[in-house]
Amino acid sequence: MIQKKICLLGATGVGKTSLVKKYVEGIFSEKYLTSIGVKIDKKEIELASNKIQFMLWDIEGIDRFCGFQPKYLRGASAYILVADQTRSQSLIEGHEIQQMVKDAADIPGILAINKSDLEASWHWSDNEIKQIRSSFALSFNTSAKTGEGVEAMFTELAKLLLETP
Amino acid sequence: MEASLFQALGLVNSSIFQRLAPSKFSTLYASKGWLATLMPEALDTQPFSYLQGSAYLNDFLLDAEEFWQKGHNGQIHSGIWREQVNGQLLHLEASAAVAEQSCYLLIHNIENEYQRQQQTLQIARELLLRNDKVLAQHDYVFNRLEALLSQNTDQQQQTGPLNQALQQTELGVAILDDKLHLLNSNSALYQMFNTPGKKTKPSPEKLLLQLFENQYPEYHRVFTTGSSWSGELFWLDPPQPGKWFKVSIHPICNTSQQKNFWLLSISDISQLKFLLMRNEKLSHYDVLTELPNRQYFWRHLEQQLNKQQAFFVLYIEIKQFKKINEIHGHLVGDGIIKELSERLKAALNNNVMLARIGGTEFAIIETTANNSQQVSALEQEKCRSLASELINTCTQPFYLESGQRCEVGLNIGAAAYPSDSDNAEDLMKYADLAVFAAKKQVKSSLQFYSSELKEASRKRIELESALRTALENQEFELYFQPMFDLRDGKINKAEALIRWNRPGFGLIPPDEFIPMAEQTGLIVPIGKWVIRETCEKLAALRDENLGITLSINLSPRQVNDRLLLEFITTCIAECNVPPNQLELELTEGVLIDNFTKVQYLLDEVRKLGLSISIDDFGTGYSSLSYLQKLPIDHLKIDRSFVRDLSNNDNDKALVLAVIAMAHSLKLQVIAEGVETLQQKDFLQLNHCYTAQGYLFSRPIPFSQLTVLLAAQKKS
Repeated sequence: MIQKKICLLGATGVGKTSLVKKYVEGIFSEKYLTSIGVKIDKKEIELASNKIQFMLWDIEGIDRFCGFQPKYLRGASAYILVADQTRSQSLIEGHEIQQMVKDAADIPGILAINKSDLEASWHWSDNEIKQIRSSFALSFNTSAKTGEGVEAMFTELAKLLLETP
Repeated sequence: MEASLFQALGLVNSSIFQRLAPSKFSTLYASKGWLATLMPEALDTQPFSYLQGSAYLNDFLLDAEEFWQKGHNGQIHSGIWREQVNGQLLHLEASAAVAEQSCYLLIHNIENEYQRQQQTLQIARELLLRNDKVLAQHDYVFNRLEALLSQNTDQQQQTGPLNQALQQTELGVAILDDKLHLLNSNSALYQMFNTPGKKTKPSPEKLLLQLFENQYPEYHRVFTTGSSWSGELFWLDPPQPGKWFKVSIHPICNTSQQKNFWLLSISDISQLKFLLMRNEKLSHYDVLTELPNRQYFWRHLEQQLNKQQAFFVLYIEIKQFKKINEIHGHLVGDGIIKELSERLKAALNNNVMLARIGGTEFAIIETTANNSQQVSALEQEKCRSLASELINTCTQPFYLESGQRCEVGLNIGAAAYPSDSDNAEDLMKYADLAVFAAKKQVKSSLQFYSSELKEASRKRIELESALRTALENQEFELYFQPMFDLRDGKINKAEALIRWNRPGFGLIPPDEFIPMAEQTGLIVPIGKWVIRETCEKLAALRDENLGITLSINLSPRQVNDRLLLEFITTCIAECNVPPNQLELELTEGVLIDNFTKVQYLLDEVRKLGLSISIDDFGTGYSSLSYLQKLPIDHLKIDRSFVRDLSNNDNDKALVLAVIAMAHSLKLQVIAEGVETLQQKDFLQLNHCYTAQGYLFSRPIPFSQLTVLLAAQKKS
């Protein structure tokens, strides 16, 4: 079985922990509970004849209380950058994080525009979003609450990692 | 070691191992319960080999191994991690230690500490998220309404989209005219001040202005200088509980930069304040810097007044911080504010309180020695040296994680108790006014409040208001300073220079009004006038068959105007002039500050056929790599190097280097400020063939330029 380390990154409160919880345990909680440090979860996924074990590193939201730590990216095969479509600033910060990841590691990035069950209240135009999406290897609209896009995101990520030598 | 010793040391929830070789340890102390889940091999035969069961620990051990190999006494920490093992969620942190040439691994179970930290961070982050949302809403409403209001369309055409924009937002919005009379508002504004069973009097926008005036000394400065402001206001309407509002005030100018409207946007942040109050510390301290906040500072200031001992209030503002945020991003911006606050604090005595009173503003109360009742000249000198110490500590470069360096400047304003005022409000108002004056200096500076400052501020407002009407009153005129080909002595170009004939004051030199035009944004319409006028003059020269190239200067603000390119294209087309007879002059500073924008602009104007000059070359940045990346045609050697050519070998060497470099890059060189024959001969001898300066001609009116050109043609 192939093991792949995936880092979940993003601003505070965008739903990184909720996405992992939904994917690994199938559970969603409305209550926001901030994370500290890193939480590692494992999940196996089977694709055709290949089995992959994801090591999901859910990393504390990057904000004024917690800086970006490039060391967490060591050995990672990809990263998922999560943004909250009800908060414009989360995408601005996401973009800053994306730049910092690029400086630290040459790995594919996946954009998860989360909270798709809620009405988008950020003010990015479709064109701007399109441009931002194009700077990632894959991008998805996700909702940890309804599950929209969650399974698909990890499955597509697994396919991408199998294709990449 | 005895288990009882570890218990006595409070290490009962940690496990300790001695490292014997890579991945090989012996257990010194095994905590009960969780270690068996995380690392069962540690409880078996000793020594044991670590079986790599924890992904996070495996990663940390790479760093730990490197640290152990170095063998220096000390510790490194893994950071907190959580791991689900056999259905049990563990909260852990590891340390690698070296002591007396022995290596240790410690794993701590920090479940209780984790919960405590989480509770504090939870409140702080909820606040951060709410605050973000409020700020984003204000920004969005401002941008959308500004776009609608700044167009010069008639009121009728605006009403539809404007009302739609007003009704779509949850924020309370009031649009006022330049006399602060209400023009439009939305229902959300009324709801904010709605008291059940009671009709609000006065109207919400008036109430809002009253609250602002009563609670912030900056009120008058904001409206008289046309500045933007944002902050928090408290409204108490007994017996209702008080409400906190986040308020943003922005002037909105039309395309001619006339102040047409004031936009007030307001949101109810009482809940956010309630969250703050749940944590006493957060309600009096700034979350980012952990310094006392505005409320705390205000209380402290009032206490200080009661002591009746002379002191200075220092109002400190970070210079052009918006630019830092735009270039490096908000996370880096926050990091810089944090480091800056630490540097400021370190430069102050322990008994001096430093507070963060706004996004980019800090304040200090500097008391005088010996309990004196008036500030003396000596005390003022002390205050000045304190300010320069603060400036010095902040002008040391800040190094970013990316390895880039960033420099930060300070504007400092000071007002003295009791000589300037004996009440807190006026002291803050005067210190704020002094900061506003310091802001106009390019470099970091301290400005004391004085009655002259007040007078200068009044004059400035007068000048600004005159400048606003100068365009429509046609008070500007273009002068042209010719540039000569040194080989044949003929004029081959001329630089357009603006002059202001201010009624009652005579000719105002550009250095007196251009910086103000740049600061107020008036440079955009004035710059457009220069472009159009120059194109018209080019057309006039063409009609007389006297065509030469005319150059115009572009300022930083103009370069940022997204309509500039379109405007230049239209002017050239409408005046039907050959684009290759128009040249743009930019300083090095403009190029570097806006590199991406400038690159796009210059590439596009080059496609149009315009030529480009770098003005004041040599005075800006020494990095020349951009010269190769941009479509540049000419370098204009700054007059300061030309001036001392006859007696300064360094300047000679520099001018020679510029000429040589320009030639190797296939650029032409123009020398500015040539005033003597010696300078001219030196330049010509060293293959610089175009020059401008008083030796040949001062800036002259257009009529004189045509006479010179006509005479040149005849000869």
